[in-house]
Amino acid sequence: MSEAIAQWRGFKAATRLGWKISSNWTQPLIFVIYSVIRPLSAAFILVIMYRVISGGAPGTGAYLAFLVSGVAFWSFVQYGFAGLSNGIVEDRGEYKMLKYVYTSPAHFYVYLLGRGLAQLASAVASAGIVLVVATIALRLPIDPLRVNYAQLLAASFLALLAVIGMAMAYGLLLLQAVDAHGYGELGSGVLYVISGAIFPITVLPGVLATLAALSPLAYWMELIRRSLLGSQAIRMFPALSDGDVMLRLVVTTAATLLLAHLVFTWADRQARRKGLIDMESNW
Amino acid sequence: MSHPPGIRIFFKTIVARAYPRFVGSHRNLTWLVTETLLPLIGTIAMIYVYRALHAPARYLGFVVLGGVLLAFWQNVIWSMATQFFWDRGGGNLELFAMAPTSLAAILLGMALGGVYMSLTRSAAVLLVASTLFGIGYSTASLLPALGIFVLTVCALYCLGMVLASLFLFYQREAWQLADALQEPIYFLSGFYFPVRSLGAVVGGVGSLIPLTLGLDAIRQLVLPGTPQFIPLTWEVIAIVVQILAYGLLSQVSLRYLELQSRQDARLILRST
Repeated sequence: MSEAIAQWRGFKAATRLGWKISSNWTQPLIFVIYSVIRPLSAAFILVIMYRVISGGAPGTGAYLAFLVSGVAFWSFVQYGFAGLSNGIVEDRGEYKMLKYVYTSPAHFYVYLLGRGLAQLASAVASAGIVLVVATIALRLPIDPLRVNYAQLLAASFLALLAVIGMAMAYGLLLLQAVDAHGYGELGSGVLYVISGAIFPITVLPGVLATLAALSPLAYWMELIRRSLLGSQAIRMFPALSDGDVMLRLVVTTAATLLLAHLVFTWADRQARRKGLIDMESNW
Repeated sequence: MSHPPGIRIFFKTIVARAYPRFVGSHRNLTWLVTETLLPLIGTIAMIYVYRALHAPARYLGFVVLGGVLLAFWQNVIWSMATQFFWDRGGGNLELFAMAPTSLAAILLGMALGGVYMSLTRSAAVLLVASTLFGIGYSTASLLPALGIFVLTVCALYCLGMVLASLFLFYQREAWQLADALQEPIYFLSGFYFPVRSLGAVVGGVGSLIPLTLGLDAIRQLVLPGTPQFIPLTWEVIAIVVQILAYGLLSQVSLRYLELQSRQDARLILRST
């Protein structure tokens, strides 16, 4: 029982710490603006690109909704993946506290899970504001009363587990580098291309399309669009029912978590063996 | 004991500050990877968006040229604007302030080295993306396009020098501020679409950033059929004015903010 309490306390402390680090550099209003300005701008870029090509023809709402929903929910990956993997490197190099986390009673997984979930609040706010603004401004066919919230939440929960798992493994791998600036963003950039967030994965060439089909993010994006738009959603997997897509999300998430665990364990062992946990890095 | 003349120290400072960037551009492999791949991946993602929309081939060229200048913008933000912030954190800024030279010379050296560094990255983006996606460009106006490119980069780094002095005022928030100057600028500068699509007002505001007009002018020259935002001659004149204005403003703001920073002890105030 006391072990569970220690883990819970560690989780709470990690979540609070993660939230403070990411948000207490400014006033709440500025923080909200900062959280939404990037995804909102990214959505505007895609909207203009689409409008340039389609010429504002009628019946374009469904494709705009495809683009906007992908960008809006991408915040979860941006914050969860890049934020957490950068956080691990910052904890070592900038704050010089990673070694204390290793020696604390809470399991390292628990700490990282808390640190990752702290990013969730920013991502939720960002996704919500982008969706609301875009739905109103672009008259997207999203009806809040018809959204399949259960499917949306279930899919997002699974995808977040996968994202945090990948970020943990990737962050530990980054401990190998003396200077890992920008590598969190680089990793999330690669995921952006193979996730189906802003274009259907069928556009990708062979190898990348196969990689994308093995990634839980593509199925998550599909379920987000189906949940938000119902029958009006442009589908990346038209042959699959909602249940089939959810099943694939479950399977790919489980496989991703297993792979992430193996990579994490290997990287953790390497880090301990080579003395990388308290190494001076380029800050 | 005789002292070297001020002008000699000024130019030696420029060379000395540019030198680590020349050397570091190929010695620091981790930077080489991120600085090349980050704009390249963004460019590839946007190319696939156009491909999914079955856009004409010249739109892919829009994106690649945007990606080329994106490498410069990222360098201006992360290695010019925020540089004094990093230098302060690393303890170098106080050494710069004590040295018998001017911060302006140090900034010019940073800019010179930064241009070289970005040039190598943007050349890689141009080469790889154009080859991968089979994108062609008109070479009939290549020389004028290169001339405008040089002017745009000069104006951009003058703006970078203005931002560098402004960032002396920031502490922890400098990182987030630099972060926030990415997608909004990509949008305002029309990195991935014709600038004209932004309309007169948004495009006009975006034109305060030298990339906007430079990118539009270069596209007009090497990608025939690009919708014109404003006539080419006006764009060139505006960029030259920006070089003068931002160059002057950078010197004024640098002196003022350096004085303020000395008074507020911000030159040595580390932030984490």
